[in-house]
Amino acid sequence: MLQATLTNERAEHKRATANRIKKIIAVALGAVIALSFFFPYIRFVFKDSVYALSGLQLATVRGMRVAGPQMSGLVTIPLLTRIAVIAGVALALLGIVLLLLRKPVLAGTAYILAGITPLIVLITTSNIQTAVTSLNISEISVQYLWPFLGTLFLGIISAVLCLWTQGTERLAESIFKVASCVSVGSVVVITIYILVTGAPAIAQIGLGEFLFGREWAASSEKFGILALILSSIAGTAGAILLGVPIGILTAVFLSETARPGVAKLVRPAVELLAGIPSVIYGFFGMLVIVPAIRTFPPFQGNTTGDSLLAAILILAIMVLPTIVNVSETALHAVPISYREASLALGATPTTTIFKVTIPAAKSGILAGVILGVGRAIGETMAVIMVAGNVPNMPSLLGPVRFLTTGIAMEMSYSSGLHRQALFAIGLVLFVFIMIVNISFTYISKKGVQMDAE
Amino acid sequence: MPSKSLYCKHKHVSDSVLKTLIYLAAAVTVVVLVGILGYILVNGVPYITWKFISTPYSEMNPDLKGILPMIINTLYIVVITLLISAPIGISSAIYLTQYAKQGRLVRAIRFTTEVLSGIPSIIFGLFGYTVFCVLFRLQVSILAGCLTMTICILPTIIRTTEESLIAVPSSFKEGALALGAGKLRVILGIVLPCAMPGVLTAVILAVGRIVGESAALLFTSGIGYHMPKDFFRQILTSGRTLTLHLYQTAREASTPDAMNIAFATAAVLLILVFLLNCLTRLVTKVLQKQ
Repeated sequence: MLQATLTNERAEHKRATANRIKKIIAVALGAVIALSFFFPYIRFVFKDSVYALSGLQLATVRGMRVAGPQMSGLVTIPLLTRIAVIAGVALALLGIVLLLLRKPVLAGTAYILAGITPLIVLITTSNIQTAVTSLNISEISVQYLWPFLGTLFLGIISAVLCLWTQGTERLAESIFKVASCVSVGSVVVITIYILVTGAPAIAQIGLGEFLFGREWAASSEKFGILALILSSIAGTAGAILLGVPIGILTAVFLSETARPGVAKLVRPAVELLAGIPSVIYGFFGMLVIVPAIRTFPPFQGNTTGDSLLAAILILAIMVLPTIVNVSETALHAVPISYREASLALGATPTTTIFKVTIPAAKSGILAGVILGVGRAIGETMAVIMVAGNVPNMPSLLGPVRFLTTGIAMEMSYSSGLHRQALFAIGLVLFVFIMIVNISFTYISKKGVQMDAE
Repeated sequence: MPSKSLYCKHKHVSDSVLKTLIYLAAAVTVVVLVGILGYILVNGVPYITWKFISTPYSEMNPDLKGILPMIINTLYIVVITLLISAPIGISSAIYLTQYAKQGRLVRAIRFTTEVLSGIPSIIFGLFGYTVFCVLFRLQVSILAGCLTMTICILPTIIRTTEESLIAVPSSFKEGALALGAGKLRVILGIVLPCAMPGVLTAVILAVGRIVGESAALLFTSGIGYHMPKDFFRQILTSGRTLTLHLYQTAREASTPDAMNIAFATAAVLLILVFLLNCLTRLVTKVLQKQ
């Protein structure tokens, strides 16, 4: 009995010592973060000379006078940079204080935020770069990477140490929780970014002009994407019209009529079809489907082969595996008793499939179709290789440009309003995809509810 | 139910027609696959030589038309992306299955994972370009491509890992808990090892996605083709993967020779995808045996 108490006490003592050590290290690291702002940590490389600025200077200096042969000017340091630098020091100090006040969770948060502030400095100093470049004197480059990474890691390590003082279990839970917030964070950031980068062009061009303008000509600053929108819709609709019947019937084959041995061969084939990179589909389309359309007797002379039809055929192949997989799962989920009841009433197996099994699985099949729509509307590389990429109004045998390929075609050499217009196309595409996504979620939820009934 | 009887009058005709349609559809699916595979492999495999795989690439020099730099770039992107994405994805699956109570956060995570898996890769490319290349000043570089791909494959890893974690029988966990093990120890010592084949499947699927990706990498990791000199310099410069190499060579090809390079690259890609597919199958089989 006595011995047991003694061991307990010893363990308790050990834990207390360990906690003290963790605390001391966390405080020390916090101090390093705070102090690092007083050492040079951002370097402006300007012509041949290097200016190393500390955080303190960055926060207090008014700006840099830059003089060139023709022009000179004062390059001010953005307000946000100053705020971020000061916040970095303040948050690190706050972390130390909170830790000493025995509030480890809050202290950890403060440390993480302190670690992130250099990121804001990094982003906002790009203003300095543009300002200097616009003075047309010389290139300026900002060297920053290592101090930034250092601060970030110090912040994370000290935050981990803070939380660790509460026990390993709590620390682990916090780490898992933070990791799972990454996907939430990415979606939020992506949405914000697509909105922020896409909106200015739409505002400048005008929403009606942009969405319903019939002409896209970057050289004469005409940015109307009606042709792109209609081509995307036509391509997707065509692919779905072709792909859905084949896909559903293949799913029926796999789940209802095929002998197990045959299904065992076809199923991996469908899976492999899903795994083939889209560039290979495009390559195949470019070399087989496009020449086939060009030389197909009824079309001969009317088309070069690079056409909406080629895009539709390739997209129909690409949406097949999605539709087959989802529909097969839905068909499998139909209770066997439904089929038995139908057969017992004297219906033939085929009638049972079309009148009982497929209707019972229809919400699942619809979900598959919507997923296919999403895949077709977002596909870029395969389409770019077969569709001809001329921003025409859609016609079956003429070259067309989709929303996705519109972005990919011109991204590398665009600038100014043109580039912003491409981001705006991204925004339109994003809205389309969100509509598809949300209807998918809605329908699959409805399917689950029906199953529950 | 419609009022008319299920027992149709025209049963014989429609029955056989519908049955033929079903078989026809399945045949179309198989023929399309066999056609694509056959076409690429027959035209590409003869040009895959050791020299093709082991020499660098140059646009000017006709002797240097190998794909070694692209293989190395693809490896860089696969490894770095997995190093970032796998820990985040697996931790997040652990949180969702072992810790989280049904609530707003869990719903938000589920919804956003679904949204992420639906976003087309060209949007990821645009986002990666504006954020990682421009805003974070990584320029068009392999590292920027990796960070973009990290977000791309997160849903794949989270969802597949989650499924395998759910499949671990709760009696295993309860047994360990009853023996006095802490929750973290149960997760790391019992649940995760039991779900290992599933986690492995998730990683292989992610590798497949990265190897096949092109649109998201076009603007982020770019189309550079130089041999890497040292690791850190290389990940900060532009480098094309195998898919982008195929895209570039196929678009620029004007001579039959150039077309053969594209064919051989496509064949290498297909073989890679096929091997990854087989690997997934193997791991799933192991999982089912357990």
